[in-house]
Parts: sequence; C-alpha cells; structure tokens
Amino acid sequence: MGRKLGRGVLAGLAIVVSLLFLLPLLWLFASAFRSSTETFASSSPLSWHALWPRDFTMDNMSSAIDAGFLTALRNSVVVAGITVVAGLLVSASAAFALAVIPFRGRTATFSIVVLSFLVPFEAIAIPLSRSFGEWGLTNTLLALVLPGLGNGLAVFILRQFFLGVPSSLAEAAHLDGAGWFRIFWSIYLPLTKPAMIGAGLILFLFQWQAYLWPILVTSRSELDVAPVAIAKAFGAFTTDYGRVFAETAILAIIPALVLLALQRYFVTSIATAGSKE
Amino acid sequence: MSTMSSTGPRARTRRHRNALAAVAFLAPTLALIIVLRIMPTATAAGDAMRSGLPGSLAPPEFVGLEVFGRLFQSESFWQSVRQTLVFNLLVNPLQILIALLLAVLLTRNLPASGLWRTLIFLPSAVPLAGSTIIWGIGLRPEGPVNGLLDLAGMTTQPCFTSPDQVIASMIILASWIGVGYWMVFLIAGLKDISPVYYEAACIDGAGPLRTFFSITLPMLRRPLLFVLVADTVANFVLFAPVHILTGGGPEKQSNFLMYDIYNRGYQLSDPYTSSAELLVLLALMIVIVIVQFRLLGSSDAGE
Repeated sequence: MGRKLGRGVLAGLAIVVSLLFLLPLLWLFASAFRSSTETFASSSPLSWHALWPRDFTMDNMSSAIDAGFLTALRNSVVVAGITVVAGLLVSASAAFALAVIPFRGRTATFSIVVLSFLVPFEAIAIPLSRSFGEWGLTNTLLALVLPGLGNGLAVFILRQFFLGVPSSLAEAAHLDGAGWFRIFWSIYLPLTKPAMIGAGLILFLFQWQAYLWPILVTSRSELDVAPVAIAKAFGAFTTDYGRVFAETAILAIIPALVLLALQRYFVTSIATAGSKE
Repeated sequence: MSTMSSTGPRARTRRHRNALAAVAFLAPTLALIIVLRIMPTATAAGDAMRSGLPGSLAPPEFVGLEVFGRLFQSESFWQSVRQTLVFNLLVNPLQILIALLLAVLLTRNLPASGLWRTLIFLPSAVPLAGSTIIWGIGLRPEGPVNGLLDLAGMTTQPCFTSPDQVIASMIILASWIGVGYWMVFLIAGLKDISPVYYEAACIDGAGPLRTFFSITLPMLRRPLLFVLVADTVANFVLFAPVHILTGGGPEKQSNFLMYDIYNRGYQLSDPYTSSAELLVLLALMIVIVIVQFRLLGSSDAGE
C-alpha cells in the first residue's frame, strides 16, 4: 500500500516537473500567434489564455518575414548544414585514426584532441576574431562555418563507436588489399550510422545556437544568422514583442523537431560518451 | 592490432604506412586545433603583454606584465571575477543536482517515463538566445511569472532589472535549457549500471536512500564528472543573455568575465587588457575543472 502510494507521488512529481519545463515553450508559441497587447493582457492578471491565444493572428509571422527574417534563417540553415557535413567528415576521420589505425602516440594524441576541445570555443573567440579580420575573413561564410568543424564531443562519440566495430573486419579487408581509406569509407562509416547521426546533431546544435562568434565576424546585416537577427529585433522594439516571439518560435521549433525525430540516435550516442574509456 | 611479428622490414614498412595514414586522417582536426585553440591563445598571450593607445597607428610596445598589474588593480575586474564565480558556484551544482534527481526519477519505471523525459529534454533544443528572449520577457513585471506570483498573493518581482535578482534570473534562463540536456547524459549513465548491484543491495535489505548513496552515486561518478565539467566550461563563457538583456547590469551584477572581456575588447577598443582578462578567465576555468577532477575523479584508477 505504502509502495503504491509512493509510486503515485513520484509519477505526479514527474508530470508536474515536465509540465513546468513545457510551459515556457507553450507560452512562446501562443505569443507568436497573438498581438503583444494580448500577450501581456493574458499574463497580468494571469489567465489560462496565456497558453492559448484568444484571437489567432499571423501578423507577427508576416512582420518577421517582411523584416527579412527568412534571410537570417537561410543563413543559419546554410551555416549549420555545411558544418554538419564537413564537421562529420573531419571528426569521423580523426576518430577513425584514433580508434582503428595502430600508430605510436595514439593515446597521447587522443588526450590532446579531447583536452583542446574541452576549452570552449567562446573563450578564445575574441582574439581569434581579430586574426580573422587580419586575414580578410570578416563577413565570409567560411568564417562562420570554421569554428563549428572542430568538436571534441563528436570525435569522442565516433571514436567510441569505431572501437566497438570488430577489428576482424578491417583485417579481412586488409588481406583483400584494401587501404585505410577504403576501410574507413566502406566499412566503418556505414556501420556507425547511429553515431554519425548523434554526432551530426551535436555539430548542428552548436552552430544553431552560435551567437558571440557571428557578431564578432560579421558586420553586414544580410549575413546575420537567426539568433543575431532576433537579438537585434529585440533591442530595437521596446513595446512590440510580437515579431520577436514569432522569430524565436521559428528559431526554437526547427531544432526541437530535428531532436524529436532523431532523439533515439542522440540518446544512444550519448550513452557511449558517459561510459568508460 | 595485428598478430604479426612486430619486427623485420615488412613490419617496419607497415608501421611506417600506418603512421602516414594516421597523420592524413588526423590532419584536418590537428589543423583546427592549431588555428582555433592554440593560435588564438598565443595571440591573447602576446597581446596581453603589449600596450598601445586606442586608435593609435604606432605599433603597440612590449610592456611585460604591466597590463596584468593594471588589471589586478581595477575594482571592476575583481567585481567581474566575483560575479562570475558566484554565478558558476551556484548554477553548475544546481543544474547537475536537478538533472541527477530527474534522471533518477525518470529511470524508475514510472508510467510514460519516455514522454516526461522528452518534455524535459525538449527545451535544450532552444538556443541560448531564444531562452534569453523567452525569460527576458517572461520575467518582466507584466509577464506570466509575475502574473503567477500575483495569483499566489505575492508582490511583483523585478528579476533582471534588480541587482539582487539578476543572477537568480540568469540561473533560471540557463537551467531551463541546461537541465534536460545533462539529464540525458545522466540517464545514459544510470542505465549503464548493472542491475546485479541493485539486486544485491535489495537482498542486503538496503533502503532506497542507502542504495542511492552506496551504489548509484559511486557507479555514476564518471558520467557525473563529465557532465559537471562540460556544464562548468559552458557556463563560464555565458555571453548571449548578458549581451542581449542586461549589458552587464544592473549595477554590474551580471558583468561576468566573458562579457567584460568582450566589452573591453570591442566597446572600449582595448585588446590588451581584454586579452589579459581572457587569460585570467582561462586560468580560472582550468583551476575549477582540476578541482572537480580531484573531487570526483579520484580513486577511479581501478577501471
């Protein structure tokens, strides 16, 4: 009897906490589809309408589009897309060398890679942006993409997965005369799809939320990525938040959908990150 | 590794070829480490030991540790250090503790656990700038949080505009997206613990608290260390909320080192002091990470 009651309390707790985490999102989406007057009217005094618009309107969305938010969104998608593809290639090759190819100093190299990337990029972004300026890379796509390509967690996850592939596969291919590149490309990559998706998600999330670096290396507003465009809109409008809500909702829904669709890959790849060496 | 004998000319060419292949596969990553980590740190170290007038065309002159000396005498620098430490000593343990409690709760076979997990994890998809907008507006006097406090009969709280509440507000903003993310790592760690240990504890008649402290926590040390370190380094460089919402205020209470470094470098065009302060930030971060390794990573050698 006591046990059952205890479980009931725990289940209730789980529900309450999950709803607490969900409420800000619901409020954001409701606010994206109503006037900002209504947004504040519904919250003071607070009514359940805070979470559901009384009068649906697409005005905020169209004012976001009129303000050029789609350009910013496209920039974010392009930067994140290139980062995922190129970043996966870079991380997977490094992970392959660190997991499969026997060479002297492998453990030390692995430690260097993981420790270097443990230093968060933002910490050195400011001096780096000055160098990028000197190299004439300001306002280029390359400047926006480059920092996202090196990701320690992605290398780590892929290496863990590569270590799990039986080495007899590579040995058999070797005997057939296959070189390391063929073994990498046609055996290891196809076998580690879940890890590739998980690592790809990590690369994507890093770029999608980038804020400091884009403001450091871009000065032209047509190169603004979505978070920067939203911050500018937020700073510019002191009373009408409708457009800012609409843009934030779009910024949030894209990774949320991606994550919902690919959650299980993310979870399986993470499961290896926390586990032993 | 192959079982072939490791001596003789054939083995040597093979070793040689392997080393070449490894270099080729690692080259892009090593190049990125040099360009994106080592070089900027060296640039910062070089700049921190130089000084020049803002906007002056004369090359900056080498001044040794003078810039650090001036920085260490600045009252506002120490305030930044203090606020950064206060924020981090609160936000990191708090986020990891909540993430751990939720991870334990949601691995107890409750009905629809997967759904609750997803709902808590979902906000971590929201970029920091998005969370900044949501909480920046949500915590306003006329926003829904104060609406809720009002229903509960409490007075309106100023949150981000009050020097006493700005750090707490930042913690909420960062934790809403952080907790679910780290929870997923901890759930993975919990699932890695073999049920054998729990069965043994059950046979020994250990209660849930006893089981948690003598089995779950020790077995979870590795993922906990990873999550704590990764969370700390991320929160040490928290920037977007300060830049978008508070500009370091009110009364410089949210003027964390990362923002102060940006402000000195860009707003005040003083790359020298900015670089010196950056090196201090890196050093602080490394010290804290080492302390965490000492606290959680010790007696881990028996792996």
